[in-house]
Amino acid sequence: MSKRAPGRLSALAAACFAVMSLPVAGFAQEPGLTDKTIKIGMFAPLSGPNMAYGFDVANAARMYYDKINKEGGINGRKIEVVLEDDRCNANDLVAAVKKLVERDQVFLLNGGSCSAAVVAAKDYVVRSKIPLIMLNASGDGALYPPTDYIFGAFSISQYAVGGAIVDFAAKTLGAKKIAYINHDDAYGVWNLEGSKADAEAHKVDLQVESISPTITDVTAPFFKLRAVNPDALAIVTYARPAALLIKKAYELGFNKPIILSVAGTANLSQLAENVGSKDALKNFYVQDVLADLPGGPKIKWVYDMYKEAYPDLAAKPDHPQAYMPYGIPSAMSIVNALKDAGPQPTREKVLEALKKQHFDSGVMAGPVVFGPQERAANKSTIFIKFDGTNQVLQPGVYTSRWQFKG
Amino acid sequence: MRILGLLAALAGLIVLPLVSTGYVVYLANLLLTFTVLCLGMHIVIGEAGQFSLAQAAFFGIGIYTSGLANTAFGWPFPLSVLASGLVAALVGLCIGTLALRMRDIYLALATFAFGEAMQWVFLSWTSVTGGPNGLRIPPATLFGLEIVSDRQAYPVVLAITLLMIWATVLIARSRLGRAFRAVRESEVAALAMGVPVRTTKLVAFALSAFFAGVAGAMFAIYSTYIHPDSLGFQTTILVLTMVVVGGLGSISGAIGGAIVFGLISELLRQAPSYQEIIYGLILIIFMMFAPRGLFAFIGDNLKRFARA
Repeated sequence: MSKRAPGRLSALAAACFAVMSLPVAGFAQEPGLTDKTIKIGMFAPLSGPNMAYGFDVANAARMYYDKINKEGGINGRKIEVVLEDDRCNANDLVAAVKKLVERDQVFLLNGGSCSAAVVAAKDYVVRSKIPLIMLNASGDGALYPPTDYIFGAFSISQYAVGGAIVDFAAKTLGAKKIAYINHDDAYGVWNLEGSKADAEAHKVDLQVESISPTITDVTAPFFKLRAVNPDALAIVTYARPAALLIKKAYELGFNKPIILSVAGTANLSQLAENVGSKDALKNFYVQDVLADLPGGPKIKWVYDMYKEAYPDLAAKPDHPQAYMPYGIPSAMSIVNALKDAGPQPTREKVLEALKKQHFDSGVMAGPVVFGPQERAANKSTIFIKFDGTNQVLQPGVYTSRWQFKG
Repeated sequence: MRILGLLAALAGLIVLPLVSTGYVVYLANLLLTFTVLCLGMHIVIGEAGQFSLAQAAFFGIGIYTSGLANTAFGWPFPLSVLASGLVAALVGLCIGTLALRMRDIYLALATFAFGEAMQWVFLSWTSVTGGPNGLRIPPATLFGLEIVSDRQAYPVVLAITLLMIWATVLIARSRLGRAFRAVRESEVAALAMGVPVRTTKLVAFALSAFFAGVAGAMFAIYSTYIHPDSLGFQTTILVLTMVVVGGLGSISGAIGGAIVFGLISELLRQAPSYQEIIYGLILIIFMMFAPRGLFAFIGDNLKRFARA
């Protein structure tokens, strides 16, 4: 090889690289939009072990779009949905998003039920300047710091979960000192940050113990917290450690109120079974993000709509899945923003309209509120007294004060 | 005929980004990355007969090393690829040393345990990996250009894949490749023939890990985010399935398995209600009718057809 060869090779490689980097074809002015249709790209886990997180949530959003179409559409345009399976997995989710944007040429994206996976699409979505409105993922990792393109947390922002518990404990239970157990991971850090903001506002003394999500013996952290003589115990963990903690509290005679975060309440009857004794749940409250008890009068319309839209699915024992209603406020936000963007919507107009959304979905505990720096739709929760069998809704809605400060 | 086929495949790969959407190019990048992962598994299992189930862990080490080399040290991309391979190889060497006393199912279990332990490390070492929050990987730079799209990453990914295929062929044809196969067939016979069994096994582990580390660096070129959830046993099993479906012990099997099985997996996303059943059926059919792999099956049938 001559001495000049490496230089030539580098030049050739650079030339090839530059040619490959050229865009193949430019996008049309506004992809996914015709005079009669608006194409929305949806993605959710539709198969596999994580299907329960998003299958019926996507169905709920679709039935809402069908309802809008039956009413005449948005400014004369019908909504056309293209749905992809993201398998709750980062690689598959990114493939689904790229397929929807580049092959199906959708106008905007409505998807994401798994927080960790949806964050993987963040850079691509921002670079492509396409609106992404999540389904039910909290997705705080993609929401903060805020970008112009991603909106979510229709279920609830992780930052707000703990803060709303502190709000409830202080206002309703009169707690001045709260024993607070969270996970020692990113979600734990996020919900503690929100809790601290609310504890400061209520002048509540927050005593914190962070545990691993896979902990098998909770004796030590529980003893530490009991030693501070708290007025209430807030458990901001998944269901398994929560069951261990409630059981331990009962065994050791802890008789103060126990409040369990929404992260641990997916299956309450299973939780009661795992705890083992109804006496352990005598002074027990669970957090929820819906406007009412599941199936309660305020949100009955959602369940009725589901039965009408999917009679075959509704007849199956596991449907609608627990998170089904969460799909409605997400779809509502999109429909409202599209309406607000006027008869000639563009992605930029829709994004601007999304930032101004402030409405009550009638499904979730609190209103959907976005703002110039706010991308998490919901920060409010309700609380339910649960004795192992019966659920009694507690009056009031409790909202975290946490705000992103940058 | 074979050369013509290879040239046609190469031409197809070169023109791919010029005629397809970014989605297809992303898939191509992903499949090429899995091809290198499969080549690594082919070396340790297919060539050397050592049942290692830690490929996802080495892949993760490669991704994080590449990400760190880029963010913390600002190394140029070729250097970070090399570093990813070498760090993974070094860890592979350590695991190989520990696993030398084991074989068959015990070796599989030991390497599986290592893979699980590494996933825990990825989840818990928050300062380096971002923990459960995941890690955002900054764009790599090459010749002063920032790689920010799948189309830009593709030529680099393709070049590395071709280089790794070429390296695998060289290894297979070398004295080392013959030593691998001798150890695979019979350690006692290999020892009797003067093959240093212990060193050969160690080299197989290190080379396999090196390939997985390089695949990790490739992933870091076009993917801007990594979460430990993607680095679990499921990924190792996926790679193993690709290698077995393609044909254990054959380079073309490892490459073909990655591409064919990757494409099947992507196509099955169109049938979410039935994909697990179809996926399972495909695997059962392969094991029943093509136990030596897809390419051996095609080859056998072509020969039979030619004779008829």
